[in-house]
Amino acid sequence: MFHKILIANRGEIALRVQRACRDMGIRTVAVHSTADAEAMHVRLADESVCIGPPSAKESYLNIPSIISAATITGADAIHPGYGFLSENADFAEVVQAHGLTFIGPTAEHIRMMGDKITAKATMARLGVPLVPGSDGVVNDLAEARVVADRIGYPVLIKAAAGGGGRGMKAAANAEALEDAFRTARAEARAGFGNDAVYIEKYLDRPRHIELQVLADAHGNVVHLGERDCSLQRRHQKVLEEAGSPVLDARARDALGETVTSALARIGYRNAGTLEFLYQDGHFSFIEMNTRLQVEHPVTEMVCGIDLVREQIRIAAGQELGYRQSDIRFEGHAIECRINAENPDTFMPTPGRVSAFHAPGGPGVRVDSALYQGYVVPPYYDSLVAKLIVHARTRSAAIARLRRALDEFAVLGIDTTIPLHRRIVDDPDFQAGNYTIHWLERFVSAEPRR
Amino acid sequence: MSRIPVDPDAIRQLASILAETGLSEIEIADKDNRIRVARAPAPGIVHVPQAAAPAAPAMPGAAQDAGVPKGAVTSPMVGVAYLAPEPGAANYVAVGQAVAAGQTLLLIEAMKTFNQIKAPSAGTVTRILVASGSPVEYGEPLMVIEP
Repeated sequence: MFHKILIANRGEIALRVQRACRDMGIRTVAVHSTADAEAMHVRLADESVCIGPPSAKESYLNIPSIISAATITGADAIHPGYGFLSENADFAEVVQAHGLTFIGPTAEHIRMMGDKITAKATMARLGVPLVPGSDGVVNDLAEARVVADRIGYPVLIKAAAGGGGRGMKAAANAEALEDAFRTARAEARAGFGNDAVYIEKYLDRPRHIELQVLADAHGNVVHLGERDCSLQRRHQKVLEEAGSPVLDARARDALGETVTSALARIGYRNAGTLEFLYQDGHFSFIEMNTRLQVEHPVTEMVCGIDLVREQIRIAAGQELGYRQSDIRFEGHAIECRINAENPDTFMPTPGRVSAFHAPGGPGVRVDSALYQGYVVPPYYDSLVAKLIVHARTRSAAIARLRRALDEFAVLGIDTTIPLHRRIVDDPDFQAGNYTIHWLERFVSAEPRR
Repeated sequence: MSRIPVDPDAIRQLASILAETGLSEIEIADKDNRIRVARAPAPGIVHVPQAAAPAAPAMPGAAQDAGVPKGAVTSPMVGVAYLAPEPGAANYVAVGQAVAAGQTLLLIEAMKTFNQIKAPSAGTVTRILVASGSPVEYGEPLMVIEP
């Protein structure tokens, strides 16, 4: 088992990793920018190394700085968290080249799934259902017409180098295709320096449902159920649930079986999440994230498994020690991502937290690096807390969530707690009746007072 | 930077040796710990090891330390500091030495490459705050150059 792990991240996820390491008796090194010198995980870590000025490029994305910090502290493994370098295959290779263990999948699989076209081709080969679309890059309008006629309108033209919801143009019918195609390519060239595009069927009311997997280095692969992450604003998830209000055990098991055998065939290792669009009873693979996800706690609450601990155990060469039939799904969990933003305008509000009281009680978990007196820096993303509730049923979880949101006090900065409070009272949300477009419509409607 | 227990008796002992002998800095180290006591303008602790208890108030990272001396040359990178061009050679500079702008003060080694750290302006080296072979973090004060 590792003696010392370097945490190459910040904020709530760095604290999450710090806690997992501490639970396992593993020493920790917190690397941080000058702006994060007072972060809670830095205070709690066994050692800390300042690796650069506030800018992410010069600190959390600075590979030489992070490797140096690992070398001078004698760390034997690096946990990359999510974002930053967690899906940077070059970083994973550099870590390994220095005799350290990268806690995550292999560089090869990171690379494979990082290119959206390769990822889809791989999944197609392995029998995972895809969104119907082109076979790779579409080179010209004539080719685009052929593809669109085959899969049927409406279609979506997507940048191969895009991601995170950027670089997509819809064409409702054959007349609109030429314009959409040309614009998509121009925007791709301007936005990503690469005008390669592919085409997918446009799904007008899908849900975003993703499946969590864990695989060890001995060929054992399990899935830990699905998360419904349809509530998104500008392609950023806002609230997630485990399990999805619309899936039953049979659908989950069927999808899980397909996915785990596919990943076993490519020898995938460590944690990963496959994201799907789900519409009319059909799943369509869109992409795979070869890292831990922000919303992993809802899966942890329902399965009773510590995902960060499992990542560390797997990276240290241990077997999972359990099979798919040992995985139990108990109850329902919901997570609210709480950002340091105005809940109506979404303007970021960095600044000093003058008062902080987190909710508690049975089935309530708060993953947050906030504390009274902490100054939220302006240089990084605005996620400052995750409130996760768990209960025996979905309606009990919603009631618990309402209570926990009412109790949660963060003063001195704005947060999106009021937005979550409004979502929880909405009849559509309570009925589980929402798609990936629902939240955008909800926030642009008149705010209820 | 690293959190190790503070030994007040050892520090007091070193400080009084400083005063008695007129030396400007003393450093002792073993496998796990290092203490350096330096004088200027008054004897005091520089580069203090942090308390181990997590409940203790956090020491800010070196770059945010309000006690970063005026005129300090701070580290632009993470690595290991070396005061001489190679083992056995004379140090680049000594306390009291006048240096020109751009003159090499020390090396910082990271990932097997050695980087020269140069004086930002001309002046006199009044304090050397790191020991040869010691790890340094971004923003850590290395030396003080006064005009």
